[in-house]
Amino acid sequence: MTTHLPARRTFLRGLGVSMALPWMESVPVWGNASGQPQDQAPTRLAVLFSGNGFHNGHWWAKGAGPQMELGKVLTPLSNFRDRMVLIRGLYNEEALKGNIHSSQTGNLLSGAPLASGGRIHSGTSFDQLVAQRYGRSTKVPSLVLGCERSVPGIHKNYSLLYSSHISWSSPNCPTPLELYPALAFDRLFNDQAVRGDKSVLDAVLVEGKRFRQDISLPDRRKLDEYLNSVREVEQRIEQAGQAGQLQGWRPTLGEPDIPRPDDGIPQNLSEHMRLMCDILVLAFQTDSTRVGTLKLNNDISYLRFPHLGVDIGHHSLSHSDRGVESPGWLKVNQFFIEQLGYIAGKLDAIQEGERTALDNSILMHCSSMMTGSHDATQLPVVLLGGGGGQLAGGRVLDYLKQPNRKMCSLYLSMLDKFGIHLSKFGDSTERLAEV
Amino acid sequence: MRSSVFHFTGDDCRLPFCARRLFLVAPLVRTLTCILLAAPVLTAGADGPDSPATLDQTYQSDIRPLLEQFCLDCHSTERQEGDFDLQKFTGLEQVQRDPQAWEKVDHMLKSGEMPKEDGPQPSAPQLQTLRAWVQSYLTVAARQSAGDPGRVVLRRLDNAEYKYTLRDLIEIDLDPTREFPSAGSSGEGFTNTGDALAMSPALLKKYLLAGKQIAEHALLLPDGFRFSMRTTRRDWTDEILNRLRAFYEQFVESQDLGSGLVVGYVTGHGDTRLGEAGRLPLEKYFAATLAEREALAGGSRTIADVARQRGLSARYLGALWSSLSGSTPSELPGNLPARWRAAQAQDAAALAAHVARWQRGLWRFNPIGLQGRRGSSSRWLEPVDPLLTEEEFRLTIPELAEGETTTEFIVSLVATDAGDGNRHDDVVWQRPRLVKEGEDDILLRDLRRHSDAAPGDPAWGLNPACFGKHPRCGRIDGASLGARAPAVITIRLPASLAAGRELVTTAALHPRAGKKASVQVDLIAGTPAETRGLQPSEATAKFSQVTQVFSPRSELFFARPILVHENSPVRARLLAAFQNHRRLFPAALCYTQLTPVDELHTTTLLYREDDHLARLMLDDRQRAQLDQLWKELRYVSQADLLRLVALRDMLHSMSPNRDQADSQYDGIEPLLEPLTAGATAFGEHLVATEPAHLEALIDFAERAYRRPLTGLENDELRGLYHRLRGEELSHDDAFRLTLARVFVATPFLFRLEKAPPVPTAAAVSDWELASRLSYFLWSSQPDEPLRRLAASGQLHQPGVLAQQAARMLRDPRVRRLATEFTCQWLAIYDFADNDEKSEEMFPQFADLRADMYEESIQFFADLFANDGSILDLVSADHTFLNESLAKHYGIGGIEGPAWRRVTGVRAQGRGGVLGMASVLAKQSGTARTSPILRGNWVYETLLGEQLPKPPPNVPLLPDTVPAGLTARQLIEQHSSVPQCVKCHRLIDPYGFALEQYDAIGRVRKENLDTRTNLADGNTIEGLPGLQQYLLQQRKDDFLRQFCRKLLGYSLGRAVQLSDRPLLQEIEQQLAAGDYRFSVAVQAIVQSRQFREIRGRQMASN
Repeated sequence: MTTHLPARRTFLRGLGVSMALPWMESVPVWGNASGQPQDQAPTRLAVLFSGNGFHNGHWWAKGAGPQMELGKVLTPLSNFRDRMVLIRGLYNEEALKGNIHSSQTGNLLSGAPLASGGRIHSGTSFDQLVAQRYGRSTKVPSLVLGCERSVPGIHKNYSLLYSSHISWSSPNCPTPLELYPALAFDRLFNDQAVRGDKSVLDAVLVEGKRFRQDISLPDRRKLDEYLNSVREVEQRIEQAGQAGQLQGWRPTLGEPDIPRPDDGIPQNLSEHMRLMCDILVLAFQTDSTRVGTLKLNNDISYLRFPHLGVDIGHHSLSHSDRGVESPGWLKVNQFFIEQLGYIAGKLDAIQEGERTALDNSILMHCSSMMTGSHDATQLPVVLLGGGGGQLAGGRVLDYLKQPNRKMCSLYLSMLDKFGIHLSKFGDSTERLAEV
Repeated sequence: MRSSVFHFTGDDCRLPFCARRLFLVAPLVRTLTCILLAAPVLTAGADGPDSPATLDQTYQSDIRPLLEQFCLDCHSTERQEGDFDLQKFTGLEQVQRDPQAWEKVDHMLKSGEMPKEDGPQPSAPQLQTLRAWVQSYLTVAARQSAGDPGRVVLRRLDNAEYKYTLRDLIEIDLDPTREFPSAGSSGEGFTNTGDALAMSPALLKKYLLAGKQIAEHALLLPDGFRFSMRTTRRDWTDEILNRLRAFYEQFVESQDLGSGLVVGYVTGHGDTRLGEAGRLPLEKYFAATLAEREALAGGSRTIADVARQRGLSARYLGALWSSLSGSTPSELPGNLPARWRAAQAQDAAALAAHVARWQRGLWRFNPIGLQGRRGSSSRWLEPVDPLLTEEEFRLTIPELAEGETTTEFIVSLVATDAGDGNRHDDVVWQRPRLVKEGEDDILLRDLRRHSDAAPGDPAWGLNPACFGKHPRCGRIDGASLGARAPAVITIRLPASLAAGRELVTTAALHPRAGKKASVQVDLIAGTPAETRGLQPSEATAKFSQVTQVFSPRSELFFARPILVHENSPVRARLLAAFQNHRRLFPAALCYTQLTPVDELHTTTLLYREDDHLARLMLDDRQRAQLDQLWKELRYVSQADLLRLVALRDMLHSMSPNRDQADSQYDGIEPLLEPLTAGATAFGEHLVATEPAHLEALIDFAERAYRRPLTGLENDELRGLYHRLRGEELSHDDAFRLTLARVFVATPFLFRLEKAPPVPTAAAVSDWELASRLSYFLWSSQPDEPLRRLAASGQLHQPGVLAQQAARMLRDPRVRRLATEFTCQWLAIYDFADNDEKSEEMFPQFADLRADMYEESIQFFADLFANDGSILDLVSADHTFLNESLAKHYGIGGIEGPAWRRVTGVRAQGRGGVLGMASVLAKQSGTARTSPILRGNWVYETLLGEQLPKPPPNVPLLPDTVPAGLTARQLIEQHSSVPQCVKCHRLIDPYGFALEQYDAIGRVRKENLDTRTNLADGNTIEGLPGLQQYLLQQRKDDFLRQFCRKLLGYSLGRAVQLSDRPLLQEIEQQLAAGDYRFSVAVQAIVQSRQFREIRGRQMASN
């Protein structure tokens, strides 16, 4: 990202350190393709997911503003009560139709019907819609991260792929997750176009297109997924050669201020999650992307938590919550929400003009069921951050008794905040007025 | 103990309202189904019970009213609950448009999920009527579309296929897929289905990066390229050097010639190393000739036979044998043939030592690091002959150390007859004298008269009267001694005079000694041990030193030289004997050092000298192999370029001392021209080989594309290379990028198959069929035999296809089928990375999981490769174990890490998948067993049944197991909840039967209650009971499930209605064929589904 900025790079190197640049001194690299005023920091979206729901008795909030009372699961967010919106009572109609787990998760962010019987079909998720429409102006349209490997297999007639993918680039294509911190880091910062790459991709594209005519329509669609990826990478290489625009908003950090993580996946789960959170924050701070998804675990998760003294698989643990105290389950819930709190805290420490990066973001944490008992008739959802002045915090919104209580309504409202105004998304045509 | 309900069915479920009734009618329905499926005639007649007319009629008269009564309230066109509209099926014609909908109806009725319990319920006969009609219809529909290749979504290589294909393609073990996103499954639950393979720009970048990384491993060779685990020129060079050394060491024993002042037979300077010599391993050869002497002589064994058995070179063994044993054995110094004849079997070492002593006198080693310098020798190992007319001897007499009281030194002048009698053996020891620099010489003749010797002592030196005459030839020089061999002249020297001096004399033949003169002479300290016969000589080359570089000038010294006249017959005879010795016993067969280390500055970066090896031991093929290795080494190392650089560096680092620099320059100047010419020629050679790389890349792309390239593809690949060269990339970079491009190419990553322009389906091409076969059975590309058959258009012939499938099943690559198909089906895929067990409870698990996985894979691979019975999956009396897993299983007598087939394991509670730790542990919780998981696994995975969806809010298990309960009791308590019991009774009992095994698959010490009643009324006990039940009562269900999964895996899609006839056929063939695995595979590969593809029109609908 620095090819056209030799002077600044030289300057930094001269100091011997990579340092945060003062406000207004840094330079944007990518053109501004969003509809936002160019002198304002952009709004960012991060969606965090954890599977198998939360503790039965401790996911709640009461009151309003900084004095809001929080259930035990949410206590890691108490510093951000004034910028928090807890949303109760939303549900995803399609998730009630299939079986359990996989079929409750693969459409969480799209509200689309899921194909069963060995086929794979969902819908483009709202985060990827934002990435496709709004993420064009950054180096990476979105950063889709995960902390648990997906498991092959079919469960209850639905592919387990659904259990491990909430982001979908298209109805046929779950967005592949990056599990390796180092590779996620490289995606953001080790992206120099190499001589000859463009010619190579060009050749691949020319050749690939020829096969379209010989194959059936469905195969052509599958092939097009591939060719579109080739084209997109090629275009980004082209863009990399162009000078960025020198006016307008500039990110507060030009180069990463943390070292490239080690190769491989950290043995320690909490270290793994922490690194992924750091990279997500760094991506926002450097404006390398404005959309991030972090899947902390799968629905039907086998993650264990020996570092919390809870050496039981996450999914098993979720079934031990029976309305009675279940301290291990609570600890694990809190551990997940701590990740959200950690991201919020780091973003809040980044001043972008008058607001902090948290004020300029919307962080959403959700799960595919309320509790471990597969109850998806209402889903746990919490939002953090100001959305660039578009979202008022310190509120509890309860839609349980409302006629309009679809997750897709929430997504319609959120899409608005990214300049994407749709009349219909998933199974909803209405917005949530309060959001 | 923490407890919980586990996933899959671990969640107890709503009882389907009609389940109880369904169980009652289930046997009836099964009987009916069997009749329908087994009787194809039923469709034949136009008005038979399954004729369209009858089906339509029954639909209108019986079925439609039932649907209206029980289903259409919810599934009307208007309401479409669950997106399901039954109202639209007004007649058979409409039904036939959507058979899948009726499969769903069939399933819903069978599982009892529909009609819902809160609606009106059909009576048992009504339900039976409904089901029977649906079954009849489906059977007819299946038969009508039988053989349909189905909708197979375009398949990209999944991670495993990418990995295996790459391995077979580049023949080294690289695995870039570790950084690819992990796979999902679709179809019948396998990762090799197109649906499950998602694409993204991020993944594309990973493919490109992987391609580049793979290309980094391409090692360019003069006539093409191959892949290496290494990526730098230095490592590649080392790799070939190691190959070369390994080649040499098949034949020789490498020996370091040592370092220091005297190395090999060379005197150099302080830290000289002459490097490693490839010595003849003579003792082994002598041992063979001695041990097999009678057999070889008598003709009962051949040289070739003995050589093969002992791992020796037949060529050399034969040469040695004929030299030693022939009717006219070779003339060899020291009478070797006679010694050999007298030797016993245990004397091989002594014979080898004898030969080695002679080698020291017949060879010399030269430094070769600056070969080509003025005056340097052309060879590392050079022959020498210890034959002289005279030789000067210098014997250094040591200084006396402080306090040493030695008063005398004894020396001997030794002349022997060289083993051929003493005729004419007249020798003169010229002017023996004590010499010290800066002092006058003391002639030995004058010793007694010398002032420093104790005067008058007759014991010092010799009587002066001995000098000046020869016993046979009269007068000679007055200070010299004459003798006829054999003669030993022993002399006592006073320490006072001799210490710190040299005794110097020249031995020469007396000028009048006759033609037959041959005297072996020596000047030694003390007295000689042996004074008769020809003794081995010993040659030493002495180099002077020029600033740590060997001077090109050297002097050669011999211990015990043989004095003969020039051109004498004696000399000729000895020369011949020496030459025989050298031809048969070179001091080294080859220079295994390869990279000279004998000079401070080296311009000979690589040195080859292996002509003796080639002559004595190698056949034509081996020589060609050796030449090829050298060709590659010179090419890859680019030594011819580097040595010019080395020479230039040397010229730059000349001594600042002008005179010295001149002399150094003068020495190496002759190198400049040939090295410059060599570098230029090599540079041209590099350019000249560029087209060969591109040609090889085209060939490689054909293998990567799994079919011949089209002309356009060929042109485009070349075009890309040239375009990249045009972008100012070097040949190397452009080649590698073009190679990387192959790994991102659509035809590599995708299993492209042309949809033919026909309305229904047509056979795939032979090339496509080759890939279908190889990806089915090997998860990888077609190998050479398949490619040949595809190229010649024979593969599709049923006989050829069958032959190939049989061949491929016997190939070790079938292990991949065992891993990819079986382990995915049985849900133990990647078990070696399983991280689901509590470390606290099962600390040993992490070390055992890879072994557990390996047992399963080996068991399956063995079954496939040896065409075992698939019923062995359910129950077998053998498995595969190593020590650690055997210990885990409590099976004794298995030692060491090696895997082996172990029989008789049934008695130990093992055999078949249900006794495998991988399966038992996978279907357990983190810290305890789960009868529910295991039971559900038997029910769904092995038997292919499907439980209905659990209710939305399952009641949960208590957090901890109440004291005194077992896992079984806990589950039984849970499952006794009325809404749970109806499903749990279907699955839990299987799990209870396996309760004797703990959560990591060990047999528990205490006896648990494993007796249990199954839902169908059978009672079973423990693993044997379960296995017996599965094989006797449920064999057909298991077989159907197996065939279904194998077919789905082979086709890359879910099994569909039109596959039913094929599945039945496979099941029948299996039953008739001892359930051998190959029966199923052969039936699949011969099927239309496998051999055909839907036409473009049909596929696009």
